[in-house]
Amino acid sequence: MPEHIVRSYDDELSDLSQKIAEMGGLAEQQVADSVVALARHDGELAQRIITADQRIDRLQHQVEEAAILMIAKRQPMALDLREIMAAIHIANDLERVGDLAKNTAKRVFAVESHFAAQRLVAGVEHIAELSLAQLKRVLDAYADRDLAAARDVWERDDEIDAMYTSLFRELLTYMMEDPRNITFCTHLLFCAKNIERIGDHATNIAETVHFLISGVPLTEERPKKDDSSTTSVEYARS
Amino acid sequence: MNAALYHRRRRRSRIVMVLSVAATAFGALWLVLILGTLVWNGAAGLSLAVFAENTPPPGSAGGLANAIVGSVILTIFGIVIGTPIGILAGTWMAEYGRYSPLSTVIRFVNDILLSAPSIVIGLFVYEILVVSMGHFSAWAGGAALAMLVIPVVVRTTEDMLLLVPNTLREAGAAIGAPRWKIIASVGYRAARSGILTGILLAVARITGETAPLLFTALNNQFWSLDPNQPMASLPVTIFQFALSPYADWQQLAWTGALIVTFAVLTLNIVARVLSNLGGSK
Amino acid sequence: MSEAAIATITPTPAVAARSFEAAKDKVSVRDLRFYYGDTLALKGITLALETRKVTAFIGPSGCGKSTLLRVLNRMYDLYPNQRAEGEVMLDGENILSPRQDLNLLRARVGMVFQKPTPFPMSIFDNIAFGIQLYERLPRSEIADRVEAALTRAALWSEVKDKLRASGLSLSGGQQQRLCIARTIAARPEVVLFDEPCSALDPISTSKIEELIDELKSDYTIAIVTHNMQQAARVSDYTAFMYLGELVEFGETAKMFMAPADKRTQDYITGRFG
Repeated sequence: MPEHIVRSYDDELSDLSQKIAEMGGLAEQQVADSVVALARHDGELAQRIITADQRIDRLQHQVEEAAILMIAKRQPMALDLREIMAAIHIANDLERVGDLAKNTAKRVFAVESHFAAQRLVAGVEHIAELSLAQLKRVLDAYADRDLAAARDVWERDDEIDAMYTSLFRELLTYMMEDPRNITFCTHLLFCAKNIERIGDHATNIAETVHFLISGVPLTEERPKKDDSSTTSVEYARS
Repeated sequence: MNAALYHRRRRRSRIVMVLSVAATAFGALWLVLILGTLVWNGAAGLSLAVFAENTPPPGSAGGLANAIVGSVILTIFGIVIGTPIGILAGTWMAEYGRYSPLSTVIRFVNDILLSAPSIVIGLFVYEILVVSMGHFSAWAGGAALAMLVIPVVVRTTEDMLLLVPNTLREAGAAIGAPRWKIIASVGYRAARSGILTGILLAVARITGETAPLLFTALNNQFWSLDPNQPMASLPVTIFQFALSPYADWQQLAWTGALIVTFAVLTLNIVARVLSNLGGSK
Repeated sequence: MSEAAIATITPTPAVAARSFEAAKDKVSVRDLRFYYGDTLALKGITLALETRKVTAFIGPSGCGKSTLLRVLNRMYDLYPNQRAEGEVMLDGENILSPRQDLNLLRARVGMVFQKPTPFPMSIFDNIAFGIQLYERLPRSEIADRVEAALTRAALWSEVKDKLRASGLSLSGGQQQRLCIARTIAARPEVVLFDEPCSALDPISTSKIEELIDELKSDYTIAIVTHNMQQAARVSDYTAFMYLGELVEFGETAKMFMAPADKRTQDYITGRFG
């Protein structure tokens, strides 16, 4: 892309992308850390995550302010307008991802060690792996302006959804087996839900990136495998 | 900064300025001297009789009434004949023939006519009108003056119409107005004060002309309003009286010169004021 | 990104290239070439102005957008050595035909210029001038028409007490609205605006834009503008021209959000080298 006649315009745009990249890096780190904290039951790490979330919030604020100022100053058109709108959208999604990581971290204190913990947490870790991979790929797609990669991320969300549904089913079973599991399982369910939603944000970002690059919104019905809203497990009467 | 260079330049600038001021003062001095002499010598002879009585035979008292009226009539002839022709020709050059090579030729010829010695025009009219009619007449004088008016009016009309922005013509055309309507309603209106100024300047010019009248309207010692007869005029009367050996004729010549000068001066000032009004609108 | 990727994702936009439906289009230009002397200024332009819509022409200086506008009312005919080839149909009739009566054409296709061009006469006469060209009306009816035109141009309340004052005594923005009133008083069908706001302050500009929006219900409008935001605000369709060619023509919303041609994108985002 040739540069703008006004050089400071380019500087402002690249500054915006820079901030998004920084936010993305932070958000990824937060999510990864939150899962580690959950698995290792690490309260100290959880506390660090909760504090660090402020940095993401601050960055999101900065992106928003810079974007609004640019709209007022430059009346951006076409690619530039999409660029700026994308920055606002992505910053918003990343801020939400940060919040979800923070929420997971908070639950570390509530989840006590439990006999079934290891296996179930492993399930959460597995979803987290997928979600993180999605997040990473979509951020790379944004950085590289890679339309195909963005579309790829958008199509792959169903794996996370499917895995979440199966974990959901498993947790329900545990809760039914023994009511004492309910507190622990509920927290873990929320953690899993948090992480599943991070995947949703990754798809949101994929849609944004797609529009940013092509100027055409992703309109097709997305494949959905999250059936948890309709999932129920028969109570085994024995 | 190089101080020596700066000072040298400042010195040079001062020298040029002093020279310019001196040249201006030199020119103005003569103008003041001319006007002063005119007023000094002419005002002495100013009286009601100058405007009421006809030119006298040598040795007796009289005025310039027939010459003044003759000048006014001849000037009106010149303007009435010359202005419409001049305006129409100028209009053709600025509007219809703007891009035609013919208008370039006409402009060139007109410029020559503009600076042609007026005595040549006098001779020309003498040859075609006076000789064919067999006698001098006010008609011939008016025709000679008209030939002086035409190039001035052609030039100012063309210039003023060219100054009317093309966007105004386009605006006229854009609502479907035909060409003549645009010229009449928009072009002339916008150029009005300029064209009027040109006519006044033409009047000022012919008011003081002597040479073209010498061979055409000649002169007339008596009161005459008959355009078929020779007619008196101020410039010719001044010419004749100033060259005479009689003191009272010479006095009348000075007074006549004063009157002509102030008439021309007034016309020039009015023209200037008019064109300023036009410019500020 | 690959072309194929877009092709598979993008459903064909509803209006990528406008189709030419005779009934829908007030003016349709086909393969128009325009010469200044030997210089080819328009290199085969084909587009249409939809009835009662606003079409904007944008592009860098010298791209031919004003030239194109001046073909639509044959204003170029005022000057020697300018000629147009091709076809410009107004309601199905070729206005480039030598048989076309130019004064009648211009009465149907009005034009508002970059600089306000009030005639050197009173406000009233400025407008009556155009009305009286083609209609013989009683004085009172002319007064009604003048009032209607001034009201339509949102100027009546400002000038109703000084209709005898010179049109040149108005402010720049008022003069421009006077010119618009003069244009619509003659009851044209198409109104061409040649950078109508480039000499006006932002408030006057807004008033003119509001006016264009309002006039759209009765007239087919074409506007040349250097102000991209203005084109985006007032027009339904936008044509981007460059070096005498029509680079892209489509719905304004699409042109400014996601233009198809890279040159359009570079121009409207201020990347032109």
